[in-house]
Amino acid sequence: MLPDFRNGSVAIHKMKHYFHLQFLITNRKIKETGINPILAYLLGLVAFLLITAYLFQKTEFAKYIVVLTCLGLLSKLSESNRTDFLITTFGDRVKNKIRILENGMVSIPFVTVMIYQNALLEAALLWVIAIVFAVFSYKTNVNFTLPTPFSKRPFEFLVGFRKTFYLFPMAYLLTVIAVQVGNFNLGIFSMLLIFGTVLSYYPKPEQAYYVWVHAHTPKKFLLYKIVTATQYTSILVAPVLVGLLVFYPNEFHIVLLFFLIGLLFVWTIILAKYSAYPNEISLPEGMLLAFSVYFPPMLLVMIPFFYKKSIYKLKMLLDDQD
Amino acid sequence: MIKINGLHKTYGNNEVLTDINLAFSKGHVYGIVGENGAGKTTLFRCIAGLESYTGSIISDLNPLKNHLGLLLTDPFFFSKMTGKEYIRLLCNARGKTNIHIEEKNIFNLPLDQYASTYSTGMKKKLAITAILLQENAYFIFDEPFNGVDIQSNIILTEIILKLKELNKIVLISSHIFSTLSDTCDEIHLLRKGAQIKSVQKSAFKDLEQEMKAFTIGNSIEKLDLK
Repeated sequence: MLPDFRNGSVAIHKMKHYFHLQFLITNRKIKETGINPILAYLLGLVAFLLITAYLFQKTEFAKYIVVLTCLGLLSKLSESNRTDFLITTFGDRVKNKIRILENGMVSIPFVTVMIYQNALLEAALLWVIAIVFAVFSYKTNVNFTLPTPFSKRPFEFLVGFRKTFYLFPMAYLLTVIAVQVGNFNLGIFSMLLIFGTVLSYYPKPEQAYYVWVHAHTPKKFLLYKIVTATQYTSILVAPVLVGLLVFYPNEFHIVLLFFLIGLLFVWTIILAKYSAYPNEISLPEGMLLAFSVYFPPMLLVMIPFFYKKSIYKLKMLLDDQD
Repeated sequence: MIKINGLHKTYGNNEVLTDINLAFSKGHVYGIVGENGAGKTTLFRCIAGLESYTGSIISDLNPLKNHLGLLLTDPFFFSKMTGKEYIRLLCNARGKTNIHIEEKNIFNLPLDQYASTYSTGMKKKLAITAILLQENAYFIFDEPFNGVDIQSNIILTEIILKLKELNKIVLISSHIFSTLSDTCDEIHLLRKGAQIKSVQKSAFKDLEQEMKAFTIGNSIEKLDLK
């Protein structure tokens, strides 16, 4: 062990420096979107409180949505490359302290909301998982390749599925429970869980090379992405869709409506991604997307809007002539 | 044929490429040499259409980028994608869907493993395999020999000579002069973004000596090694 690992004050100094740096990086990212960081933090907090309040008002599964959302964020922080960097830079002990603090900070809003909503058991459980996640980070770079049905047309579903594969058995199990206990809403929730997972495959822009390499026009490129996403999303949603159609035949129109709206969201996120390319989706556009969750007809305006912007952005890397 | 006329590239007020005029013919291999920061990679990125520039780049096949196999110095790989899936992604992008990838695995790569777990040399070999399978007419190899083992360097040299035989246009940058003298018909020297000189095969030895003299100068003496 290096001497500084035994020296508490040095460790605290290192951690302070690390968190200060993270704070600066976060602020820079926010500033890049054109928004004042303080305003963004305030808006984020207000949006978080409004969304969670709305969820708890609308569905009895809100606590599970909150837990899953929080776990999703925590798993991002546990990525092996990140953990390796922390270990090699700070050593094991400081890394553990940093990770516990990070997970604690991310979980606090979620745990607080659940305590406020009287979901005490779930809040406690989430808190414990957050701490365990921090200390026992897992190594994902093992020599095991998870097979997927998506290898014909890489890359979003291939990579995304391998990162989130554990959510699909959970979603399918929820559908089975929904059928067993006769809870249609739970079945719809399981479908939304899959759509939500698929949507998470898209917001991050890929390196320019992976767009440039396509011998397509921007229009064909977007069509290729949308067709692939539609087919692959349908594969993932199919067990839930079929289950609900078979066991809730009277509700078929609602099931199909949710499926179609889900697909529209997938198309929208693809178009939103390339409309901002090579940057990430900006905060105002993200807010437009969030608003359309409350008011899905907005998608009919947003899809052409993002499509037009995407074509313009992609012309920088793709040839526009057939 | 690829023709570059009066190419300039600036980042803000900083001009990184100045009045580049080059012509590349079918069935020829060209080396682009220069120190770090001389503008080699930027020139490649301009040819590929990954950077904006002033001046013109014309080619017999259009759009040029759709016929170009581009090997970047440090290729990026997604974290959960196997070697085979990477090749498929690059081939799909060029409409090549019926490729027997295993048969074409000349570097014996573990194609079913995640590419992100490969060593630096293996990653480079994977990227080279993928752009070869795209069946391009033009190739840009930016530092193809870096990090690759000797055996694979020999294979790569043979591949480049085969591409030449197949009437392709190949542009290579390398910091290892011998790899260029083995493969290139002509070498263009860049310095601080400007095109200094072009040298035919017969004069490669002189160029190497000149580069050595310019680069080393009396810098070793300055170290006063003891």
